[in-house]
Amino acid sequence: MPPTSLVSNSAPAPYPSNRLPTHEREGQIFWKLRWREIRAQTERLRTRARLRTGLVLILSIVFWVGLYALFYAGFDLIVARVGQPGAPYHAETVRFVFTIFFGALQVMLVFSAGIILYGSLYASPETDFLLTLPVRDSRIVYYRFQEALFFSSWGFFLLASPMMVAYGWVVQAPWYYFCYLPLMIVAFAYIPCALGAIFCLLLINRLPYMSRLLVGGVALVVMVIAYFSIWETLNVSDADLLGPAWFQETFRRFRFTRGEWLPSTWLSNGLLEAARPIALDPEDLPWLEGGKYLLVLLCNALFLHVVVAWLGERIFRESYFGLYTRPARESKSYMVWFDRWAQMLLCFFPREIRLLIVKDLRLFRRDPMQWSQFLIFFGLLILYFLNIDRFRQHRSDIDVQAWVNIVSFLNLAVVGLIVSTFTTRFIYPLISLEGRRFWILGRLPVNRDTILWSKFLFAAGGAWIPSAALVLISDLMLNVTMMVVCMHQLICLLLCLGLAGMAVGLGALLPDFRERSPAKIAAGFGGTLNLVLSALYILIVVLGNALPCHLYLLATSPLLRYRLDPEALEFWLVVTLAGSAVLTGLVAMIPLSKGLRAFRQLEV
Amino acid sequence: MIQFQHVTRSYGNRVAVDRLHLDVAPGELLALLGHNGAGKTTSIKMLVGLLRPSQGQVLVGGYEVSKNPREASKLVGYVPDQPYLYDKLSGREFLEFVGEMYGLHPADVREAVAREASRFQLTEFLDQLTESYSHGMRQRTVFAAALIHEPEVLVVDEPMVGLDPQSIRLVKDLLQEYVQRGKTVLMSTHTLSVAEEIANRVAVMKAGELQFQGTLEELYDLVPQADRTLEALYLSLMEDKSSA
Repeated sequence: MPPTSLVSNSAPAPYPSNRLPTHEREGQIFWKLRWREIRAQTERLRTRARLRTGLVLILSIVFWVGLYALFYAGFDLIVARVGQPGAPYHAETVRFVFTIFFGALQVMLVFSAGIILYGSLYASPETDFLLTLPVRDSRIVYYRFQEALFFSSWGFFLLASPMMVAYGWVVQAPWYYFCYLPLMIVAFAYIPCALGAIFCLLLINRLPYMSRLLVGGVALVVMVIAYFSIWETLNVSDADLLGPAWFQETFRRFRFTRGEWLPSTWLSNGLLEAARPIALDPEDLPWLEGGKYLLVLLCNALFLHVVVAWLGERIFRESYFGLYTRPARESKSYMVWFDRWAQMLLCFFPREIRLLIVKDLRLFRRDPMQWSQFLIFFGLLILYFLNIDRFRQHRSDIDVQAWVNIVSFLNLAVVGLIVSTFTTRFIYPLISLEGRRFWILGRLPVNRDTILWSKFLFAAGGAWIPSAALVLISDLMLNVTMMVVCMHQLICLLLCLGLAGMAVGLGALLPDFRERSPAKIAAGFGGTLNLVLSALYILIVVLGNALPCHLYLLATSPLLRYRLDPEALEFWLVVTLAGSAVLTGLVAMIPLSKGLRAFRQLEV
Repeated sequence: MIQFQHVTRSYGNRVAVDRLHLDVAPGELLALLGHNGAGKTTSIKMLVGLLRPSQGQVLVGGYEVSKNPREASKLVGYVPDQPYLYDKLSGREFLEFVGEMYGLHPADVREAVAREASRFQLTEFLDQLTESYSHGMRQRTVFAAALIHEPEVLVVDEPMVGLDPQSIRLVKDLLQEYVQRGKTVLMSTHTLSVAEEIANRVAVMKAGELQFQGTLEELYDLVPQADRTLEALYLSLMEDKSSA
């Protein structure tokens, strides 16, 4: 085939180019590539990561069954109160639930697919490699989009499928309802993911021509508008909480989620129609009505698929060129004042430990992957904790007081679990990553124990400061007693020490010097073991203290006449706290001492 | 076969390649030399379709690379300085994927894989996943992938880094043999002794500009006061241009 664009007349005739793969053949080659990668990955998981794979599978099944039970109970309640499909308010009530649920997930899918596609399409060495092969640009985009679709929507499948199945069972939906489900899920998830991909391609195509300040400003404005919109939608008077007027007002405020042009509405309507029992009227065919919505979803998904491929062919390479020929920003060392402050705050530590901690702090704050995840998780927790003060309205009710106590301990457990994910993801791989730089550390006139202790102090201190602040915010918003506040702070400190010791100790005991990626190190056997042991440790400590605290609250409440002995419970509280301290000592020191021994003998 | 026609590439205000005009004919091995940041890798990236010139054109076999990327890349085999392999594919599967993408028939792909595996001594570990390969094995696998479709143009960026002496000899022999068959090789390198040994012509870049292109004899004539080694000539040339 002659080239479509050639050079000036003086240029030599183009060299004959043999036939390149057709669209179909190219697709087959890429499917073969995908299949071979999946097969190798599955084999690796089966042979070398059984613990992690088994845990993920078991936890996913438990999660799915738990959600199914929850949704089943919820829909059962709706059917009991509102009636079976066909009853006057059944469709309205279920549609309200469905449209909010699917609408929220729809927005999340747009963003997650766009972000994941950006990472895999524009910031990946694989794309560089593929661009040097005679592959169509649309194929590269589509190949990476498939990954973005999978990684962004598996959570949706896990959340939505138990709800849909539960609804079908509760209302005893006909057989075709369950046949429609997988098609509806896939077609629906495809639409927001494709929209995310389209936004990503268009944005990156224009990005080189926009100023960074403008992009940042627009992003900030969008976030502020989104925040206030959500706040306005959810902000209702506490006095009428869960009353008839509150329901009517809430129904009205969420009418935007029921727009006829939204895929979430098509999915909701399709499910409701397909679940209806077959009517006596021969012209009323629920399978056909449900099928029409399924076709609408499928047609839109296929149309957007074509748009993604079309845009990929036209603008992907241009946008790629534009992105990589932008003027590079100089990587300067910012925030030197932070290091000076850290040096001053750590002045009571020996000089070697201080220098090592400041080095780790610098690496942390200059790695956006670390601090951005830290900010997102802790930011979301702050938002949640700042919005849990509704219980204050009903403080005279002992049930509410008991719930407040339970919620405060649940919040403590959540903070602990988040800290455990951070110690697993970022602290556990530290020693493995140091292995590559060990020619520096290993030759320094510093005791090897000092290196490990500095990691422990960095991890424990870095986890404790934000965690203690979060737990304090939660306690203040819930207005718990001073005794509970002090207890929570003590448990929080113990958790941070225990989790840091475990992560540093296991990281030194089970290092992986071959792997460069901290995410892969954390996902290995040692990282999974650390995560599981951390979760068990948190559950034991929090549950062990929550139970006597809860009973003590009941025993001392003037509103109740439980036959409980407060003095005996006080003793129990002290014993569990002391037990938690001993357990923390064991959890931190056993891995640390074994890790220290392994680290002293380390040869890299 | 390769033509850079007054090619300029800028990153904002910084000019990485400035009006580069360079031809490489079939049967020629051109060594592209220059300090770090001279513009060698940017030029190579434009040649293999990873960057587009701000001005000018890059042609391979008559095809303008930025407008006919598929046709141009069909003629090119590329060995980057930081090779990419699919960790979860075996060496054989990776080579088969590349061969099929270049449009080879499956039977031809099998033959080509056997040929390149034998040439680069990969046969023993061809069915192992590439994640277990050493740097030298990875580099040899990338060479095999670049040659799987016997391209008219071979572009290599720092080919000797990480290779053992035996592999270096292998690569040098391969490049020379390839050129003798009428193919074109463009090699960017800091290893001046290799360039001196196997290159027909050298091109020297500095701060994005082409300082010299020609044979070693022509370079000797240009800098007669220097020793007759490429290292001495190159350093002398750089010094002259710096002081000029």
